[in-house]
Amino acid sequence: MKIAVSADGPDLNAKVGFRFGTSKYFIIIDQDTMDFEAIANPGASTYQGSGVQAVVLVISKKIDTVLTGYCSPIAISHLTVNGIQVLSGVKGTVGEVARMYKKGKLQRQPGVESRLETGANKIERTLIHALKNSANQFIRLLPVLTGVVLLIGLFSSFMSKELLSSVFSGNIVTDTLLGACLGSIFAGNPINSYIIGGELLEYGISLFAVTALIISWVTVGIVQLPAEMAALGRRFALVRNTVSFALALVIAILTVAVIGV
Amino acid sequence: MSNKIPRKQSIMRIIYFPASVIAVYGIIFAFMPERAFLAIKSSGIIFSNIIIPLFLVFILIIVLNLFLKPTYIASFLGKEAGIKGIILSMTAGIISTGPIYVWYPILKELKEKGAGSSSIAVFLNSRAIKPFLLPIMISYFGCLYVAILTVFTITGSLVAGYIVGALMEKKT
Repeated sequence: MKIAVSADGPDLNAKVGFRFGTSKYFIIIDQDTMDFEAIANPGASTYQGSGVQAVVLVISKKIDTVLTGYCSPIAISHLTVNGIQVLSGVKGTVGEVARMYKKGKLQRQPGVESRLETGANKIERTLIHALKNSANQFIRLLPVLTGVVLLIGLFSSFMSKELLSSVFSGNIVTDTLLGACLGSIFAGNPINSYIIGGELLEYGISLFAVTALIISWVTVGIVQLPAEMAALGRRFALVRNTVSFALALVIAILTVAVIGV
Repeated sequence: MSNKIPRKQSIMRIIYFPASVIAVYGIIFAFMPERAFLAIKSSGIIFSNIIIPLFLVFILIIVLNLFLKPTYIASFLGKEAGIKGIILSMTAGIISTGPIYVWYPILKELKEKGAGSSSIAVFLNSRAIKPFLLPIMISYFGCLYVAILTVFTITGSLVAGYIVGALMEKKT
């Protein structure tokens, strides 16, 4: 049984940290041996966010219970949905509250609130949560999918095989390159790349081009490039996209070659 | 989470494209109704081909959501160094769902806290493998192709991670 206490300092004499997400440390205590370990909170320096980094830390340390002063509702829901109990409104020193918790006294303190998803309640909540999320994801996928299918329908009523083959000439190198370029420009759910690729195959476009399109659709993103630069750095984004573009060509050629063998 | 884009904006974003396509249909219908009918017919055939795989996709999305939470997936990333870390990043990429812009803020935080360029590149590239979309992919391209492509995509994401890591290290 492992507990994590948000703390202002790295030992058992430190005061319990008021905010779960931004406390300086987490003291992780093994309830059986009372051994402890202090870990600096990776989210301590950030003033925004709702403590997601702290949540991730606690989950990765396989903690059973979190003791803290205050925990944001979002962090609580992330923790409890992963089976972790949260006690908020906890005051005192880390050592003190850990001993009280072990004896079962902490839970009865005025102002202390315990949250835990248990048994049937948990299953029901998780199920509803998953269903809601899935329906949401699925519904969000449909409008663009519908648009893509309608657009392909439109193309097929105007485009002839001859017209398309004037673009995709049948030359492996240029076709693969073209496929990868198309995939790099377009973005969004890869399901659309499968449908477009599948229809292109019907039109006699080579599997090289279609494979390059499918791979680069996800791995290279010209549309998302500014967002990727902003999040991960200009250099990283440029290097990663360039490397991925080259790899899309290689993967396309290898895949088709292996199938042909 | 702070990384959610405003709901209204995101709805606009997904409605914008199909709405424009329908508008184009309207224009074509006015001038060339027989072409428009032909286009609708072709679209109908595509829809009928993907409806069953699409249903399977929905079931798979539910199963994945039931067992995997984003915070749990994030706990895979950037924790471990070396081969184990890379494999964890790859697994996280494969099982991660949702649009990429949801993941940028999480990746940014992880990077600031020391996750390596390799791990992040592996994560981003292994997102090309989408377990829940396999039914659609197989229905279009067959099992053999999907199996071979999956193997190469996994290998490719590792290679990408290696090269990006090497190139980024060189400079700094």
